[in-house]
Amino acid sequence: MIAKHDVLVVGAGCAGMRAAIEAHDAGADVAMISKLHPTRSHSGAAEGGINAALGNAAEDSPEIHAFDTVKGSDYLGDQDSIEIFCAEAPGDIIQLEHWGAVFSRRADGKLAQRPFGAAGSPRTVYAADITGHVLIQVLWEQVCKREITVYEEFFAWQLVVNDGRCQGVICWDLLRGGLKTLGGKTIVMATGGAGRQYRATTNAYACTGDGMAMALHAGLPLKDMEFMQFHPTTLYPSGVLITEGCRGEGGYLINKDGERFMKRYAPNALELASRDVVSRSEQTEIDEGRGVNGSVFLDLRHLGAERILERLPGSRELAMTFAGVDPIYDPIPVRPGAHYHMGGIATDSDGATELDGLYAAGECACVSIHGANRLGGNSLMETITFGRRAGRAAAEWALSHTTVEVPESAERDAERELRELLSREEGERPWKLREELGQSMLENFGVFRREEGMARQIEIIQGLRERYRNVYVEDKGHVFNSDLTQAIELGNMLDTALCMVTAGLARKESRGAHSRPYDYPNRDDENFLHHSITRWRDGEVELSTAPVRMTKWEPQERKY
Amino acid sequence: MQVALKIWRYDSSTGERALKEYEVDAPEEATLLDCLDLIKDRYDGTLAYRKSCRMMICGSCGMRMDGAAVLACKTRMYEIAQAGRVPVISAMGNLPVVKDLVVDMQPFWDKFRAIKPYLEPGYEQPEDGREYRISQEQMNVIHKESLCINCGCCVSECNAMESNPEFLGPQALAKGMRFVGDPRDAATVERLEAYNSEHGIWECTRCYFCNERCPKGVDPRDAIAKLGAESVRLGIDRDMGARHAKWFIRSAETTGWLRETELVPKTQGVVASIKQMRFALSLARHGKVPPPFPPHVAKDVREARNLRKLVRMQDRQGALGHVQGERALERLAHGHAGETLEEIYARPGAAPRPYLPGDETEGAA
Repeated sequence: MIAKHDVLVVGAGCAGMRAAIEAHDAGADVAMISKLHPTRSHSGAAEGGINAALGNAAEDSPEIHAFDTVKGSDYLGDQDSIEIFCAEAPGDIIQLEHWGAVFSRRADGKLAQRPFGAAGSPRTVYAADITGHVLIQVLWEQVCKREITVYEEFFAWQLVVNDGRCQGVICWDLLRGGLKTLGGKTIVMATGGAGRQYRATTNAYACTGDGMAMALHAGLPLKDMEFMQFHPTTLYPSGVLITEGCRGEGGYLINKDGERFMKRYAPNALELASRDVVSRSEQTEIDEGRGVNGSVFLDLRHLGAERILERLPGSRELAMTFAGVDPIYDPIPVRPGAHYHMGGIATDSDGATELDGLYAAGECACVSIHGANRLGGNSLMETITFGRRAGRAAAEWALSHTTVEVPESAERDAERELRELLSREEGERPWKLREELGQSMLENFGVFRREEGMARQIEIIQGLRERYRNVYVEDKGHVFNSDLTQAIELGNMLDTALCMVTAGLARKESRGAHSRPYDYPNRDDENFLHHSITRWRDGEVELSTAPVRMTKWEPQERKY
Repeated sequence: MQVALKIWRYDSSTGERALKEYEVDAPEEATLLDCLDLIKDRYDGTLAYRKSCRMMICGSCGMRMDGAAVLACKTRMYEIAQAGRVPVISAMGNLPVVKDLVVDMQPFWDKFRAIKPYLEPGYEQPEDGREYRISQEQMNVIHKESLCINCGCCVSECNAMESNPEFLGPQALAKGMRFVGDPRDAATVERLEAYNSEHGIWECTRCYFCNERCPKGVDPRDAIAKLGAESVRLGIDRDMGARHAKWFIRSAETTGWLRETELVPKTQGVVASIKQMRFALSLARHGKVPPPFPPHVAKDVREARNLRKLVRMQDRQGALGHVQGERALERLAHGHAGETLEEIYARPGAAPRPYLPGDETEGAA
């Protein structure tokens, strides 16, 4: 063990940094671990905005926000957590503004708010179309101000569970090489999503579900893993995100004939229906031959140059750089792409997991406020509100406990496992497996899912896991060995993907992002209004269920 | 398409350096980063470089292509490959190389931390417990500076840093301007005092390489100029650099041209000038110094004075002067010709006009 801290935060995106700041302010000695540098985290790529019922642009309230979120979740969100979330969001936004976040403004000097999908009021606070970047910067500034320790380019690999408590993290030091163990009275996981399981994704190379896999391997339950959100507007061909803010500002979705096809799928909300609805509509248009190159179009021409340059300059830059299209003159080719994991490490409203000393927040966690489908703008807000709550709870627990112990056997076992992987002199290179996983997940566990496709996907993943035992790391060096970390990431993606498809196969209904139009086209509240729980037992997935926490909203039919 | 690259490989454990050539078959839309991925996967797993978002926002993949800093994810390879060019890829400059294309960012972050990179909140928090009320125009002052993704491309190219590694550098100073220009920050004077000290803003050589190479349009040199203008406006002008700049204005205002003979004493002070007397006399002997008396006054000096007056009248002194100029230029740079929507829909090869189903006759809805 190279160092001990009261609170160790794994991951340094928005949730991780917000948790670290809160734990520090609560009086704990905090350190963050990141396989990147904090500002490189993928929270920074969020574009459109962050939801809080400030009521600056139109009348709004936390109750309306909560109802929108419950309905958006297709009634699978835990309503007690959603109520806390919506009530505390406005205060958290004001605090970010006081810290210096460079948000866009209204004419009266208040924070500007724009309409977003499935929202009853324009409540998305934004900074042009680089909201995530602005948040990452302001949180990093506050981390610098507090001089919080950061273990940069430390690749977290395994959790140390000792005496029924989580007490440490075993990491690979990317810059200097070698396994390094860090001890913590409490550990907060904030490692983000796993979108790299899919070939077409908005996610960064770093989004490989490491934290989910670490928790899974430590015996913790992952909740609602079958719900992967497909974002309706990812750029063709590169897959980078084009913000929902484009539609919030009034952008149209059109097919190859120029028809605003959303009128046929969501006659009232049109382009601003919830993401699962819009993605399914696009996929139907594409499948029925009304797309071009497997894409439809996001048309911003009517917004005019002024508005595009002022509100959506980043999206224009992305479209021009990666697709050679200037949205002032031409529609942007877009298609649905894997974007956000609604599921994750099961936690309560304070980020606590069922293991003492282990907390989780942000995309890697499942509180759950998103249920079966997340609303745009709710995830950045979740990182802040639940990052803060998890940081506070972790600090309080840490300050009332004294010892940290990591048994040497844990470090020895990890050393042995690593040596085994590094000493393999032949075998398959990881990239082939990674590409096969990405392609097959898209085909068999994408926007629409079929029974036989999912069954086949389980076999494919099992086959890949078998081959994974034989992957070969070419770089044997100690300095910046990303060949090694990429091999470990592949293992994490395979195990979490297995949880996803196993849970998906068992959910014989269509709810939110889990859509089975060919055999179970409807929601089935009688049999499936429950969370899916997946655990690791002897290297395989064990599936169970847990009840949804309801407060005041009864499930209704969901129409936009 | 076939893409060929030469990459400077470096192994810090052995100190070995070698230029290696690779060729990969990449899709036409491939970026430099995509090509590096192909090389690492298929040919050489030991190649080291940083990457993450691949969409120009995380700032991981700064490196040099043919000696100039770029983001690998932003650099499309199609035209380079078509032209048959074989670019040389190397690690960023002004930072120690760790391995291949990976540099040690520690010196970069040390400077970032040195400028106090966090808001020092104003004395008056909003009374109602809500957000500060600030107009968008006020926030626009720091629009460019807040785009910075800390990729290090500007630092890599900075000539002043190359000759003096202690210089705070373009990134840290642009970050400084992000706070100086923020109406919510109450530490403007303290900040400007600090940024005016040794290794601060006046050490910049104005080569504009940072503006040229910044992949996000932050224009760090402009930020440094704004800091200088704000410093002078607030009377923080003891540094030679500030005095130098002030004398330029004074000289232009009074005689309409630069009186170089007076520049040295006005910038460096009388004592320092006397010490340089021998050098000055030698210059004079070779006819390099015009006689200072009587001062030569330019014919149209009035115009210079009127320009100066105009700037004062418009209250465009300090950072604000730069912002307004920039925004006008920005509009020109976008190349938008002000077409109407009808003209845009009618352009040759334009995508079909959008319509709502059941509403075809109405056209755009």
